[in-house]
Amino acid sequence: MTKPIDRILLAFLAAGLAALPFVGTGYVIYVANLLLVFVVLALGLHVVIGETGQFALSHAAFYGVGIYTAGLINNAWHPPFFLSIAAGGLLAAALGYVIGALSLRMRDIYLALSTFAFGEAMQWVFLNWQSVTNGSNGYRLSPASLFGYELVSDIRAYPFVALIAALLLWATVALSRSQFGSALRAVRESEVAAQAMGIDVNAVKRAAFTLSAAYAGIAGGMYTTFASFIHPESLGFQTTILILTMVVVGGIGSVRGAVAGALIFGLISELLRQALSFQEIIYGVILMGFMMFAPKGLFADRARAKRPAAGPAAAPARRQRRIA
Amino acid sequence: MSLAEIWLFLQQGVLSGMVTGSVYALLAIAVVIIFKTTDVPNFAQGEIFMLGSYVALFLTLVLGWPYLAVIPVTLALVAAVSGLFQRIVMERVLASRGVGVQLVIATLGLAYALKGLVRQTGLGDTPRSLPPLAPTDAVVIGDAVLTRLDLVIFAVAVGAMLLLWLMFGHTRVGKAMRAVGMNPKAARLAGVNLARIRALVWSLSGLISAVAALLITPKILITPDIGHIAILAYAAAIVGGISSLPGAVAGGFVIGVAENLVGLFISTNAIVVAPFVAIMVVLLLRPQGLLGGRLQVKKV
Repeated sequence: MTKPIDRILLAFLAAGLAALPFVGTGYVIYVANLLLVFVVLALGLHVVIGETGQFALSHAAFYGVGIYTAGLINNAWHPPFFLSIAAGGLLAAALGYVIGALSLRMRDIYLALSTFAFGEAMQWVFLNWQSVTNGSNGYRLSPASLFGYELVSDIRAYPFVALIAALLLWATVALSRSQFGSALRAVRESEVAAQAMGIDVNAVKRAAFTLSAAYAGIAGGMYTTFASFIHPESLGFQTTILILTMVVVGGIGSVRGAVAGALIFGLISELLRQALSFQEIIYGVILMGFMMFAPKGLFADRARAKRPAAGPAAAPARRQRRIA
Repeated sequence: MSLAEIWLFLQQGVLSGMVTGSVYALLAIAVVIIFKTTDVPNFAQGEIFMLGSYVALFLTLVLGWPYLAVIPVTLALVAAVSGLFQRIVMERVLASRGVGVQLVIATLGLAYALKGLVRQTGLGDTPRSLPPLAPTDAVVIGDAVLTRLDLVIFAVAVGAMLLLWLMFGHTRVGKAMRAVGMNPKAARLAGVNLARIRALVWSLSGLISAVAALLITPKILITPDIGHIAILAYAAAIVGGISSLPGAVAGGFVIGVAENLVGLFISTNAIVVAPFVAIMVVLLLRPQGLLGGRLQVKKV
């Protein structure tokens, strides 16, 4: 984050986050918590789609695993909340590893469809595993606690939610600057070339899936610290698409794009929750409009070549253009 | 469960499955022709189908038109919307250097917009159904019972498939569509107008979806969320190998029959998850589908 725009954005974000508890009312803090969860979800999808170029559509499933794991553990034993969040993250990561390993055989459309199918199947599990998730009646989450300090309200959970989100944001930036981040992008740009450079493509893909699922699982755990109720209805394809929209409209491959997208679309979806038909129309128009006129999103990273899942024809032309 | 019961269930399941399967096959064809010619998995397939249902519902229930007028207008309108979407939105995405992801997301945008628009009309507040196209008296085949409507659905669906087969094999425009699917650059060099063919393919896909909608809407209750049915079309397309038309037809019938058998033998609750399991298993074991060609790895 050396560019001035990043420093300015970050300063604004930090100032806003710090000031919020003093000016915001209960509902505003709730929305802020929710937006922070969306930020983490978007960062997770950014790792697998933006950095690694793997078009996975099962993010909501991992989010759900995180929510139910953390919620069940918290309801049963009341451990310090970070333990239940960690458990949710770990279980989601384990599942992500398995899906990543299974998905190695597939690319592009096949990967999208199989992960989509996995997401839908998981929603079915959440809906029908009555004895664990309470099925379509939804599951009640009791307040999380930290050594006797009960997070009974949104405002009590807020500092912790903000802290976790900030940590994960830092981790994502560190990741994308590390050598491992370069390996992820190498796989995105060309698997064949990455392999030729000595990168273990399969291991990198598995790691990306695992990490992305861990983010989603942790986001689920964060959700349990301030929310009191979860319904499987909100853990389906719609949610995956919402997060995908955040990442893509923000700018595929850009961390600040993912964050900005999460804030903007999280806000839109929360504000228009009551008017479903308007929400859908506005969404549809935004999605189509952005793809028509700014397909690289709000924060296209112009310094680096972006080529997520490009067709064979697009690549050489762009490369030549850049050299010339 | 006695043997006689199993035999009865088998007959009923297979025959009912052929009927719903024929509609899934049509929808799968609608998915596959777009995927083949434009490389885009159309995530708005279900909503285009839904649009067909609601246009027909609006014309019949609100305006009181007879079927004779409803059918051509519905077909034309849905085909036009679909073709215009490609012409206006998708071509523009292509022009701004959008690639796979962006094209898919544009179709998701269409899906949302259509769903919201239909919801806005208020027609979708209660589940609705069209009056039957054909009498619904029972027809007994073997031990199984179907309705006359079922037979009409099956016959029309298969007829539409035959027409498509003739079109792709024997007409100029059909051959042009296939050429664009095989190699767009070569097709353009041979004088094919790519943008025109792509718009035509989308229109054709919309037309097929509308046929499917008109066939199935008298049989089931429709809500604005009926687009979910497209998942079955996707399952069918994948089972058949997503770029093969005969595969899509076979896949449609396989999914239809499997769905009915699962419902009869296991539980109706399992019907919902069956297609996803089918998609995952097929993609894992045979990613190119049952009738697809060899997988190709794209080099740098």
